[in-house]
Amino acid sequence: MAITALPSSLSDPARPLVLPRRDAAARAHLDDVSRRGAPVVLARERVLSIPGPLGALFPDGALQRGTVTTVGGEPGAGVTSLAFGLVAAATAAGEWAAAVDPQGTLGGLAAQEAGVDLSRFAVVRDVAKDRWATVVAALLDGVSLVMAEVPRGLRAGDAHRLVARARERSTALVMISASARAVWPADAALRIWAVGGPWPGLGPDRGVLAPRALRLRVEGRGVAPGVRTVAGPLALTG
Amino acid sequence: MPSRILGLWCPDWPVVAARRRGDAPEDEPVAVLRHGRVLSASSEARAEEVTAGLRRREAEARCPGIVIVDVDPAADARTFEPVARAIECLTPRLVIDRPGMLAFPTRGPSRYFGGDDGLVTRVLDSVSSVGVVGARAGIADGGFAARLAARRGLVVAPGETPDFLAPWPIGTVGDEAMASVLCRMGLRTLGAFAALPLPAVIARFGPDGMRAHRLAGGEEEHPPALTVPPPDLVEVCELDPPAQRVDEAAFVAKALADRLLARLEERGLACTQVIVEAETEHGEHLARGWRHEGALTPGALAERVRWQLDGWITGGLGERAAATGGTTGGLTLLRLVPDQVIPASGRQLGFWGGDAAAADRASRVFARVQGLVGPEHVVTPVPRGGRTPAERVRWVPWGEMREPERLPVPPWPGAVPGPAPARVLVPPLPAELLDGAGRPVTVSSRGEASGTPVVLRCHALPLADGEITAWAGPWAQDVRWWDRRVWARRVHWQVVVGEVACLVRVERGETVIDALYD
Repeated sequence: MAITALPSSLSDPARPLVLPRRDAAARAHLDDVSRRGAPVVLARERVLSIPGPLGALFPDGALQRGTVTTVGGEPGAGVTSLAFGLVAAATAAGEWAAAVDPQGTLGGLAAQEAGVDLSRFAVVRDVAKDRWATVVAALLDGVSLVMAEVPRGLRAGDAHRLVARARERSTALVMISASARAVWPADAALRIWAVGGPWPGLGPDRGVLAPRALRLRVEGRGVAPGVRTVAGPLALTG
Repeated sequence: MPSRILGLWCPDWPVVAARRRGDAPEDEPVAVLRHGRVLSASSEARAEEVTAGLRRREAEARCPGIVIVDVDPAADARTFEPVARAIECLTPRLVIDRPGMLAFPTRGPSRYFGGDDGLVTRVLDSVSSVGVVGARAGIADGGFAARLAARRGLVVAPGETPDFLAPWPIGTVGDEAMASVLCRMGLRTLGAFAALPLPAVIARFGPDGMRAHRLAGGEEEHPPALTVPPPDLVEVCELDPPAQRVDEAAFVAKALADRLLARLEERGLACTQVIVEAETEHGEHLARGWRHEGALTPGALAERVRWQLDGWITGGLGERAAATGGTTGGLTLLRLVPDQVIPASGRQLGFWGGDAAAADRASRVFARVQGLVGPEHVVTPVPRGGRTPAERVRWVPWGEMREPERLPVPPWPGAVPGPAPARVLVPPLPAELLDGAGRPVTVSSRGEASGTPVVLRCHALPLADGEITAWAGPWAQDVRWWDRRVWARRVHWQVVVGEVACLVRVERGETVIDALYD
């Protein structure tokens, strides 16, 4: 009984197996997608990875859960955009985020343009001063990132309690201090100041505003202090 | 064989309700809109070919002078309460599907009132006694057939329901996607669909197909295996002090609804019919059943309970109570009884490990914060069309419907260009926009500026106070020029002072900073 050789394409030396080739741009895009697609990457669920240009500010490109990051700067210097960038990173990772906005001035459209997934984002507005700490503490229980504006005259005791609560619940707390009189009175893992930046696109009576590159000053554990420029737009486009 | 059911249908209830509460005139054409589309139209409007699903503008074009009213489900439910009370005098077991449609089993009442025809006459008499004309009632085997019989005003003899259903178009089973596929297969009527063998339908359409096949064959929608829920699923809450207002009671009802559905979910059950019961401080006992197509979600259940409480409390307090049969005192006890439960069909989790537990946790916390600061202060932004940054976002309280009117938002002519400002100032900051000679820059009605802006003055925002380095504008807007009450003419400028960019608005001679590109 004769056994005939089976036709095999795998063993055919004339047709070697070649994986589809990808160029550098496609690889970079894939890397970005994979970093954003995974709900949480790196170091056992203890970090929120920050993709895009903002990630360069953070040690290992990730925001440590359970820590406080303060974002300061004068009005108009880019504080809110920076905070939205962090919220966007959290929601892009599939996490929930909330903002406390006592004056009710946050721009919802800007949040969307910054890449925030609005279906996982809620804003608490018009909070009375005496309720502020209670509301922030309650939010720390339920979401992965809370962005809140430091009210004037915040007591250090309240701030310490919030720090402890954030650590216990593994929630990232982003505190915005919009003026020199409203400073976060407790310790923070990272302090970022927005220093502003020139607005491209708009000239005297021509053009319209275009997203700008932000100058930021960073100081904290695990980062070299200094001024960085984060290329705009901060938005997680794509 | 399914039990005999009587269906009562009040046609065009949204229109009837709007007329009964005085929102719409009696003798003129009326249309009720939901999400910008006609939901229901009065007979005068239908004579002018205004049909459901039309856009507002099309309806107005076909029938000039038509009165347009927005739908208000809560008010519709409240207006339907007298009808439900009138029927409740005949039978205690009625179940409301939606305002305008109710059903009840005829087994007791039919014999008492002398047969099915006698019962239908009694029901229609009761309805017209509360001033609702044009209602129709029908009796058939099973709820689905009864509701169709009500549309025709027919009494279908026992056992003849499959024959009655056979000529109805396949679209009546309510699943549009499936109906369109079946139409293309040449199965245009319920009878043709019911003639298919059940295994073949399940193989092609799954559980939805099975449900539709049961309906088309004149059977109950769900197999009657689990219709009697175990008694420990009843959720009770005592109110102390008694709730006098609807919102107090509705707040408790929401928590109760969440708890009930959570416990049902633990057992793998979903609820399609629920009885809302309440007791008042004067010892009155009220109960009413509500039914839902498919399974009740916490939001839908809480909404129905709220409607019912609204009907009892608003329709009843004070001297009108005795006449209308409502409550005379505050509510002391609230009870939710799941009347009909079915096996839950499960839910799909998100693709990227979308964490259902995290969503639950977040919703619970947002609800708790709503309890702390008030429900309208926990909001989520929903983009919509508009020209200014404030117009382009609708802030929707957490837990309410947040579907945008259109998705994605189409390009909007006249919108302020560029990135959206991160801070929309409320209230806007007063400012001054000056030209080189120190005079305020004004804009003519043709949209021409009186000079180039050189200096922006604003005391509240020191960084934005100074020489203007770049600007764009003026963009003039004529806002709602057709309505003199809200008509406004305003002009926007994009202005950069140093490294601060802001959006300046000039309206009625006043200059303000509307938003900050922060």
